[in-house]
Amino acid sequence: MRAMIVDDEPLARRELRRLLAEFAWIEIVGEAANVGEAAPLIDRLLPELLFLDIQMPGGTGFDLLERLEHLPRVVFTTAYDKHAVRAFEVNALDYLLKPIEPERLAAAVARAQAAAASAPAAVASSGTILERLFLRDGERCWFVPLREVKLFTAEGNYVRISWDKIHPLLGRPLSSLESRLDSKRFFRANRQQIINLEYIESVDLGVNGRLHVQLRGGPEVQVSRRQARLFRQLASV
Amino acid sequence: MDASPHAVTRLHASRSYWLCQLGGWGLYSTLQLCAGAFILHLPWARIGIEVLFLNGIGLIFTHRLHAYIRAHNWSSYNLRSLVPRIAVASLLLALPLGLVSPFTLISSLQSSESLIQEVAPRIQLHFGPFIRFVHQWANWATLFALWLVIYFVALSIRRRRDAELRQSELTRALQLAELRLLKSQLNPHFLFNSLNSVRALIADDPAGAQKAVTQLARTLRYTLSAGREELVPLARELEIVEDYLALESLRFGERLRVERDLAPEAMAVRVPVMLLQTVVENAIKHGIAELPAGGDLRIVAGLEGGTLHIDVENTRPQKTERVFRSEGEGVGLDNAAERLRLLFGAKANLHLDLSRVEVAVARIRIPETA
Repeated sequence: MRAMIVDDEPLARRELRRLLAEFAWIEIVGEAANVGEAAPLIDRLLPELLFLDIQMPGGTGFDLLERLEHLPRVVFTTAYDKHAVRAFEVNALDYLLKPIEPERLAAAVARAQAAAASAPAAVASSGTILERLFLRDGERCWFVPLREVKLFTAEGNYVRISWDKIHPLLGRPLSSLESRLDSKRFFRANRQQIINLEYIESVDLGVNGRLHVQLRGGPEVQVSRRQARLFRQLASV
Repeated sequence: MDASPHAVTRLHASRSYWLCQLGGWGLYSTLQLCAGAFILHLPWARIGIEVLFLNGIGLIFTHRLHAYIRAHNWSSYNLRSLVPRIAVASLLLALPLGLVSPFTLISSLQSSESLIQEVAPRIQLHFGPFIRFVHQWANWATLFALWLVIYFVALSIRRRRDAELRQSELTRALQLAELRLLKSQLNPHFLFNSLNSVRALIADDPAGAQKAVTQLARTLRYTLSAGREELVPLARELEIVEDYLALESLRFGERLRVERDLAPEAMAVRVPVMLLQTVVENAIKHGIAELPAGGDLRIVAGLEGGTLHIDVENTRPQKTERVFRSEGEGVGLDNAAERLRLLFGAKANLHLDLSRVEVAVARIRIPETA
């Protein structure tokens, strides 16, 4: 498994490298000391696993995740950060407290391995099709599996994500997201919205050749006339 | 200060005032009623009306008196100025009631006849009504005086209790402030990161690890004992600043560059414990720690005309680089500045100079004490 370490302290990086030497199947492909260094390196080296410090000069670990095109599996490392630890507790993200305990590191690494084994497709297609998104809403943050997102709605240069019962905002335009989505699963219904085909409950024919798609437990989305033809082919309605 | 506890106290006070007023007059009226009916065998209706009338006036008078006392702040007087006021007020209030009372049947409870018989049986004819009036007047005056004494005794008891409560609140606030100080001194972020550095050093550089443990132990010991002595010589404070900087250098490596310009004659000046340490920590937190390429830290100390000058300068991150949580650069120094003010008054101060874009300067001024 290809891994990367991002931490501003050289000694902390060295210590983590030494601890990870125990795990022969983890290969450390690179290190970075801050967000500016890390972002291009991650998108170039495409690691599967990222050990990420939170407080760093020039931007936090969360800032880095929001900038990434390729989102690896993340294990946060932090010495002491009240806010961050609260965010983790809410969402049960994986995190390690420094100084890192070898037992906890082993558990985190095992979890990452298990997760990679259950979703092997991500490795091959990484870089082109997005599997997960990192989202932040105030003090809370989530890794959202894209297949669980019901609906994307453009709001200016942002995208409102309908996921579970929450609706966080993603800081990039809908058009840049569309090209990274799995076209077998997601469909551009109209200029503002992309829907997840697996969440369709029913489809009604409207006037003027428009289609009304009812999403499970969610809103009704109108498919524009131009897209309706495409939709019929796709869903053979 | 929060206003609500006072409002509650006032409400509570006004309730107990009315409880005492109505309870006292009620009890007095009941006793009079019973005495009139069972001892003097007077008709219930007649004494009922008389008692209600007289004591109703008494209640109104004392209530007005209560308002007057509060408006003129009698509670601030000492006993010597209070006693004559109580006497005059009682006599004045009792005057109208003393004039009316002799015409009531209930007044015969305090019969003046035996008194008159004894003192001046012969002038009874001429001075009888006057003596009856004086007797009733004195009677009412005693009652009002008693009312006032009870009032002021109750007031002083409540005051003492409030004062004790305030004192304990004050003690608690002081303890809380000390706890906050201690907590802010023990910076967990620094502590755990240092432990992590030490852990990394153990394998690669055992000698360096040993040195780091010693430095960390010294820093912690100094921090924990900071509450015991208020002032230490600058030289002592600088020792701990150096230990601290050595540990931070482990973490930041080449990113932290320290420069010192310390005048030897300044070393003996006594400074508040942990003050310089707090300022240096703040400079690192908001300076070097936020700069990807690191920055400079400069500590300058000198003595000028009996005043110790310490300047701590750090490279400032540019606005675009300043991404940490909204905490301002000077927030951590508020507590330190407050302590300096409490210890030395206006002669000492701590001021954060942010007028330059590239460098932040914390300026400390402390008078040289004997």
